[in-house]
Amino acid sequence: MQQACARHRALLLLVLAALLSACVAAPQTQRLLETPPPNLAADTHLAFVPFFPQELYQCGPAALATVLNTVSVRVSPEELVSQVYIPARQGSLQVEMLAAARRSERLAHVIPGTLDAVLGEVAAERPVLVMQNLGLRHLPQWHYAVVVGYNLDRAELTLRSGTIRDYVVPMAVFERTWARAGHWAVVVLPSGEIPVSVSATDYFVAVAEFELLHPQLTGAAWREGLTRWPGSEILAMGMSNWLFRAGRVHESAVVLENLLVQRPGYQPARQNLTLIRQVLADSEAP
Amino acid sequence: MKMNAARSSSAWLLILVFVTGVVVQPSALAAPEGMVTTQQLMHDLQVSSQRDTIAGFLIREDVQSQLNARGVDVADAQARVAALSSAELATLAAQIDELPAGEGLLETALFLLVIFMLLDIAGVTDIFPGI
Repeated sequence: MQQACARHRALLLLVLAALLSACVAAPQTQRLLETPPPNLAADTHLAFVPFFPQELYQCGPAALATVLNTVSVRVSPEELVSQVYIPARQGSLQVEMLAAARRSERLAHVIPGTLDAVLGEVAAERPVLVMQNLGLRHLPQWHYAVVVGYNLDRAELTLRSGTIRDYVVPMAVFERTWARAGHWAVVVLPSGEIPVSVSATDYFVAVAEFELLHPQLTGAAWREGLTRWPGSEILAMGMSNWLFRAGRVHESAVVLENLLVQRPGYQPARQNLTLIRQVLADSEAP
Repeated sequence: MKMNAARSSSAWLLILVFVTGVVVQPSALAAPEGMVTTQQLMHDLQVSSQRDTIAGFLIREDVQSQLNARGVDVADAQARVAALSSAELATLAAQIDELPAGEGLLETALFLLVIFMLLDIAGVTDIFPGI
């Protein structure tokens, strides 16, 4: 899982040439270009996303600084090096990239590994942090970059990558390098904002992980999540538990009561509601 | 319908924020015993997605033939994954998740699975009750 960053462009070009001549399939690109999602703009470019040229092998800190500064966290790649860079491996671990985003008081959402999801986020003005294997499966060249634009007619993506501000790459080439890194894609947002491509379950996990570090900042994330997915059992539980912990016991009961109107059979909510009512009864007793 | 329900519940929330604002306590309230916590729900979700990962791994043809070559009955392995502890599930699922990055790791994942089963037979662990 270690990610040393690619920086030998000669090797990179060689590999790309090898890949192109090998005609490896890029199924998602083909599908996307044949039938693009109906509401997706044909051309998007997020010029406002800053650029931090990578130094040596440190693409992890550079890519992370790019997405964090976009959501108003003023941090330089150098400041992130100690959090995410492992010198012995000349790279950064994915889990540490997510943890570092949380430490900066932002939520790290792992989005579905589809081009539709990535382009959908970019169209919604959210740069997407991605991992690539620019080398071969057995000779990996791990790399982090940030998707900041695409053009469907030209079948291209634009990345903040390495030392190039606007690195334009054919969509099919991106798909293959991205697929070899497990289609890993992440959107970093403040509490209360929701990526367009995630499910209620993905969102719940991102918020719950965030809550371990910043319980005082999590209220808005639960509230917005429950507004978007009003019938979600787990999001209602998260909201209710957060309210309870904040001492807002009445409200925590109401959230579960509302949920049980829609999902009467959901046992964990029944169980918690019973306990919450007990707490309320005890506090009202003389 | 859904929109109405959402709107009325957020309206309720707003009213309650005002009405109960006075009882808001500054310090965090501990969850009473028996309460299903958010962290528990997250843990359950992770365990079930790890089980899915392993189940998906075991139905792969290459994996099944490798297991057969090692004398492990595939149906047994499938049935007994259900009995893995959450730590073992996490170890195995993490190995399987790494597979796309290097196929040599298929060996490691299979090796772990076989080791878990052998340790049971030797009586060191008690993961697979059927052995």
